[in-house]
Amino acid sequence: MRISSLLSRFGQYFLSIGMVASITVIFFTLRDGLDTTLIALLYLIPLGLITAFWGLAPGILSALLTFLAFNYFFIPPYYTLAVHRPTDVVILVVFLVVAVVISQLVGRMQFGLVAANAREREATQLYELSTALAGLHNEDAIAEILAKQVQEVSQGEAVELNILGTQPFIFRSPDVLRPTRTPELTVPIQAARGILGEILLWKSEPAVTSGERRLLQTFASQGALALERARLAQAESRARVLEESDHLKSILLSSVSHELRTPLSTIKAASSSLRSNEVSWDSPARPELIAAIDDEADHLNMLVGNLLDMSRIESGALKPKREWNILSEIVGSVLARMRHSTDEHKLEVDVPESLPFVPVDYVQMEQVFTNLVSNSLKYAPAKTVIHIRANLEGDAIRVQVRNQGPQVPSEHLERIFDKFYRITAADRVTGTGLGLSICKGIIEAHGGRIWAENLSDGLGFNFTLPLTWDGAPPPQLPVDMETE
Amino acid sequence: MSNAPHILVIDDEPQIQRAIRTILTEKGFRVTTASRGEEGLTLAATNQPDIVILDLGLPDMDGVQVCERLREWTQCPIIILSVRDSERDKVAALDKGADDYLTKPFGIEELLARVRVALRHSTSRQGTQSKIVKAGTLTIDLAWHIVKRGDEEIKLTGTEYKLLSYLASNHGRVLTHQSILTQVWGPADANHTEYLRVYMRQLRKKLEVDPERPQYILTEAGIGYRFIADE
Repeated sequence: MRISSLLSRFGQYFLSIGMVASITVIFFTLRDGLDTTLIALLYLIPLGLITAFWGLAPGILSALLTFLAFNYFFIPPYYTLAVHRPTDVVILVVFLVVAVVISQLVGRMQFGLVAANAREREATQLYELSTALAGLHNEDAIAEILAKQVQEVSQGEAVELNILGTQPFIFRSPDVLRPTRTPELTVPIQAARGILGEILLWKSEPAVTSGERRLLQTFASQGALALERARLAQAESRARVLEESDHLKSILLSSVSHELRTPLSTIKAASSSLRSNEVSWDSPARPELIAAIDDEADHLNMLVGNLLDMSRIESGALKPKREWNILSEIVGSVLARMRHSTDEHKLEVDVPESLPFVPVDYVQMEQVFTNLVSNSLKYAPAKTVIHIRANLEGDAIRVQVRNQGPQVPSEHLERIFDKFYRITAADRVTGTGLGLSICKGIIEAHGGRIWAENLSDGLGFNFTLPLTWDGAPPPQLPVDMETE
Repeated sequence: MSNAPHILVIDDEPQIQRAIRTILTEKGFRVTTASRGEEGLTLAATNQPDIVILDLGLPDMDGVQVCERLREWTQCPIIILSVRDSERDKVAALDKGADDYLTKPFGIEELLARVRVALRHSTSRQGTQSKIVKAGTLTIDLAWHIVKRGDEEIKLTGTEYKLLSYLASNHGRVLTHQSILTQVWGPADANHTEYLRVYMRQLRKKLEVDPERPQYILTEAGIGYRFIADE
């Protein structure tokens, strides 16, 4: 590279000399018809062109050559450098001065033009970089663009970006092995609050110019701005999430402390009265108090269980342990367990045994049925019917738990599955406000969908459960026909 | 009272230790407590308890591990205590040799029932296993392979009988899906819970008064089944 540029530099001088020589030959053939002064003026044309094309040094050289050629060929006595007439001396001196001045002026203009072009190119590149970086909030994307632009501008062998921070990473462009030698240029990515990383550039031929170095520094500071902006945006969204979860937590705490305190007060009241001698040993109140303690302890246990379930759903830790189960068995065991609390309502179950196996987590599905049934028990008036029905619908099972309780305004139908969402005031109905959202979490973890709808005589909860498990359909078992 | 059954309780929560100790001492058992796994293992070796009650959440080691280490040298019944929603741990401990489990918080009847079942099984291990199991109106004669409701014989298929006899001879105890499947169908089918579901349904239809609300064959959600017989 260096040799070829040297050659082109020599070429410029060579061409300048050639041009002066050929012009001299042309003028020489016309010498008798032209005035000396005119020739001097005409000589200025190629001189200006040479300087304009090839710069100051070839211009000055041509000026001197022209001066010599002019003197030698066109100032009498010809073919000597001697000058006899005083006017010719004046012409020569004026010519030399004008030639040099023109060369210098044109050359300087030329140099300025080159510099302006370079500046314009830099400005364009910077503009391109900042447009590309604008609006990016992802550090990887910023690093990628920065590295690619540095690579494009510098035309180096490799560019590497080391981004520091909580999650440091390295981006390399082009995606080749890192050269073993130390990089030719290292530019820190310096932001107001410290160094965010550095740009390493490997470029041996041609060497990094001071202009490139300056440009890379500007690039680095643009990159620093973008990175800083991205980090601020991240911090802001993190803060927002924290704020939201903080808000939810305070709702949770107030709801929970209310809910926990109710059974606790009952337990405390009952146990302290049993402990004191207020209640005599044979008083009929005694077994009642004991039963209250027992029931309320169970209630507390259920509340804590709900809270745990919810936090598990929230953190994505609720992973169904699927097995091929029989839905009617699950419903049966839930109702058997709840039989003490379902006395006041009429339960109708229509879950055919002929339904295919469902790939569900037994415990979690029990939870769903328990929550839906207890929700119905809570809101539907006594003596009304709670109907549990399941049927095949395409490649899914659709389950409906319907009650004859109050309808829900249609704008609330979706929101009743939100945490802590209640239509009635919290102190009128017991519960954590988590039951339905737990159902939603479980059903969705099973790949199903849950929704509520108003029916002509009440409210229905519906959910679907896909019948395939990792693409496999329910197993078919041969009916056991063997006999003893 | 020196021949009263000796129970070792390994639990790191002092309140639970206190409650269990009070209740069991009241019922005439001798009770020793340990709050760490290593301590429990040492006490088990020196005291040779009749029953170990073991919490799965110990500070120094995994309860399942304690189970395994106990089973290296003793067949004494192990009842594990754990919190709700840790079915996986419970099943792991049961498959590693624990005999039964209790979910905290538990009622005293449950605790005593588990202890009674455990004591019965530890004596039956020593050779006095009864060959006839009675549950309500059901009579299961394990020696003659006859199942009766009242005086009427119930016809069971081969697999159904195998299943029932395994449940009945371990009555009162929880049996994990895996252990039932291995016992009845063989180790190759140990993961086919659906077999179990189908056969349990058939069995319940033949044995239970109301198959939807079984009295004899109880489902232990996420864990297995338990056969309830008369004491």
